[in-house]
Amino acid sequence: MKRRMRWVLLITVLMVASLILVACPSPTPEVIRETVVVTKEVEKVVTREVQKIVTKEVTKVVEVEKEPELEVIKLTAWTIGPDEPSFYRRDNLIDAAKRLNQDLEALGSNVRVELEATFDTGDWGDYKQKFILAAQAGNAPDIILSSHLDVAPWSEAGYIIPLDDYIQEYWEETYQDIIPTLWKAVEYKGKKWAVPQDTEARPMFFSKKLLRDWGWTEEQINALPQQVRAGEFTLYDMLELAKRAQDEGIIEEGNGYWTRPKKGADFYHIYFAFGGEMQDPETGKLVVVRDALRKWLQFHYDSVFTYKTTPEGFIGTDWKIWHETVSKADKVLFWNGGTWHWAEWTQKYLDGNEDYLWENVGFMLIPAGEPGLQPTTLSHPLVYMVTSNSKYPDLAFRIITLATTPDLNSRHAVNSAHLAILQSQINHPVYKANRFLQEVAYMVEYTNFQPNSADYGEYDRVLWTALSAVMAGDMSVDDAVAFVEEEMQAALGDKVIFK
Amino acid sequence: MAQQTVVAERAALQVEPSWRARLRAITTPAFFIGPALLLILIFFFIPVILTILISLTDMSVATISDINFVGLKNYERIWRSRTTMKILKNTFIYVGFTLTLFNVGMALILSLITTHIPERVGTTFRTFWLLPRITPSVIYAIMWTWFTADAPYGIVNQFLSPFGITPKNWLNAQPWLVVIAANGFVGTSFGMIIFTSAIHAIPVDYLRAALVDGASTLQRIRYVILPMIRWPILFVVTYQTLSLLASFEYILLLTDGGPGFYTTEVWSLYAYHRALSNYFGNVQFGFGAALAAILVIIGVIASVVYLRVFRFSEMVAEPKIEVL
Repeated sequence: MKRRMRWVLLITVLMVASLILVACPSPTPEVIRETVVVTKEVEKVVTREVQKIVTKEVTKVVEVEKEPELEVIKLTAWTIGPDEPSFYRRDNLIDAAKRLNQDLEALGSNVRVELEATFDTGDWGDYKQKFILAAQAGNAPDIILSSHLDVAPWSEAGYIIPLDDYIQEYWEETYQDIIPTLWKAVEYKGKKWAVPQDTEARPMFFSKKLLRDWGWTEEQINALPQQVRAGEFTLYDMLELAKRAQDEGIIEEGNGYWTRPKKGADFYHIYFAFGGEMQDPETGKLVVVRDALRKWLQFHYDSVFTYKTTPEGFIGTDWKIWHETVSKADKVLFWNGGTWHWAEWTQKYLDGNEDYLWENVGFMLIPAGEPGLQPTTLSHPLVYMVTSNSKYPDLAFRIITLATTPDLNSRHAVNSAHLAILQSQINHPVYKANRFLQEVAYMVEYTNFQPNSADYGEYDRVLWTALSAVMAGDMSVDDAVAFVEEEMQAALGDKVIFK
Repeated sequence: MAQQTVVAERAALQVEPSWRARLRAITTPAFFIGPALLLILIFFFIPVILTILISLTDMSVATISDINFVGLKNYERIWRSRTTMKILKNTFIYVGFTLTLFNVGMALILSLITTHIPERVGTTFRTFWLLPRITPSVIYAIMWTWFTADAPYGIVNQFLSPFGITPKNWLNAQPWLVVIAANGFVGTSFGMIIFTSAIHAIPVDYLRAALVDGASTLQRIRYVILPMIRWPILFVVTYQTLSLLASFEYILLLTDGGPGFYTTEVWSLYAYHRALSNYFGNVQFGFGAALAAILVIIGVIASVVYLRVFRFSEMVAEPKIEVL
């Protein structure tokens, strides 16, 4: 009887234990402890069963409570100066990635972004070549910063993706604030392919120091930019003045007017100053205005050979020599450059002494080519693009968006002497406090852009070849004009209009 | 009669080779020559064919997703362009002067001088001449840029100004002089090493015999040394011509083809500029490939001419008299 009772008791306990286990999908240790309290006779059997369950269930609990595993997505970005003070083009993206991670964390997402961003201080040509080859090989970075002029060829090649939908998504939050004219620089074939990163003006700089040494009063010196703005002081007035300074021994021959020493866009504002156009607004085709082309070439020829205000064999001079010479303002009277040079000279060539520049260097618009024409300047916005190689274009774009803020853009603008791209930047305390940016702000009203055209590279190559040949004395102006027409027709056919 | 007998004897000795022997006769040379052939096929013939195919298209960055066949249009553009003759002329100037003045001329003079002076001095001198070769190209080019820069930077001006020569940027004023010299100082070392080892390999008996015969140093060089190093001279001339035709790195770094109107632009640099480098991002692969294809043709023609002029087949023929 006693033996039977023992069996009944055992079966009962097992049933109870089974019921408890079935009824408790996630038993807590307390529940288990309760189960352990049984009669002495069956203790061993029950304990074994429960121990097994305990192990299993505790593991489950730990899995639920554990911090979710983070998914780290690696993105890459390439940026370039080449001027060293423009390093915030990279650093703003890095900070934007940090902000994105904070946002993701706040949203409870287990995704984190790791951005590997580079900043190039080499040559533009090499930088673009590197990108083209990487894009061809399928190794392009997720984000590329480059010229707005690359939008056309790179979108045609399929290297970058259109951003209209993304821009629309963040329009209210960010992009309604972009200065409207800058959108033109990123549009091609009706789509927006990039986000403006910065822009600039390209002034004509002059040496206040040399003018002062020549006997000019402060009033006369300070009135010069205004005379240029009013169209009263033309490009040839500038050459005449420079020639006189040379003749009177204020400066040496060849130091009257220095252009940029190497290939680049800084020659085309002179073409615009003589009434040049580059694109037909109706058809989008490239345009060469014959009269402006001839005057553009003639002006550079005259500067080198007639007035001798630019040295023969000047093109090709090392950039370092150019910067060291002009930043001291004691040898060259006029030279054209970009607003960003102001920061470069301050930080790299004058040991941070910006006061020296304010004392000795003036800046003005590029004078009009002739009386009756407008003074001018040129802007060349740099833009962030998302490549078609990116596996995470949404995240790449989100980083660009978070880098497009008044605080980040203003710190870049102030540090590198670039102009604002956001309307709210104009009143940002950091931007507003910068005297240089405030004083060049008016130049934006006179600016020109180079055209977004897939054929602009060829167009530029031909014009540059002709100009450098004229400046070297290898071609007469007539020959150069004929060369441009002949070579442009051969390379571009009816894609270019001669007016 | 005796000759006929020998021929008959040889014929009698010839046994029909087994299939294994015939197979071996094919596989053994194939085994040795196969890897080299494969390399030539992969790294020369296939790229050449691809280059020619690309040269028949309008391929550029902008058209890469929609490439059109344009036939010989790119070649026609090259033919009609006024820059073609200029660049061709530049190429001949560059290759001709660098080769004759430095890569062969200076190399020969240096190897002759350094093998006629005490061994240790000669070796030291040759070692110094290797310095440009082992200096990274970019650093070497920057050194030249600053060396020839305008006053007050350039050392050249500091040396020349006491003689009343107006300081100037020599790289812009005399670009060919600088380009050829910069290339030449690097190129000289290659020929110098080859010629020096060839001169050392001449059996000393010949030189002693010439001395005994009363030959002067110049006669010894003219009649003993130069004829005996004809093969290395052919090799250096051929190799360096082809190398110079295809090389442009120092020109790119020094002048980038300028100053002015393609002043120092050589064919290979022009092909590079058009096919791979465009300031505003749209490089012309098709047009550049046509330029490269023409360069290949020029190289092949130059090789054939050299091989004929130097009678290469005679030099590699089996000796008429078997020694030992």
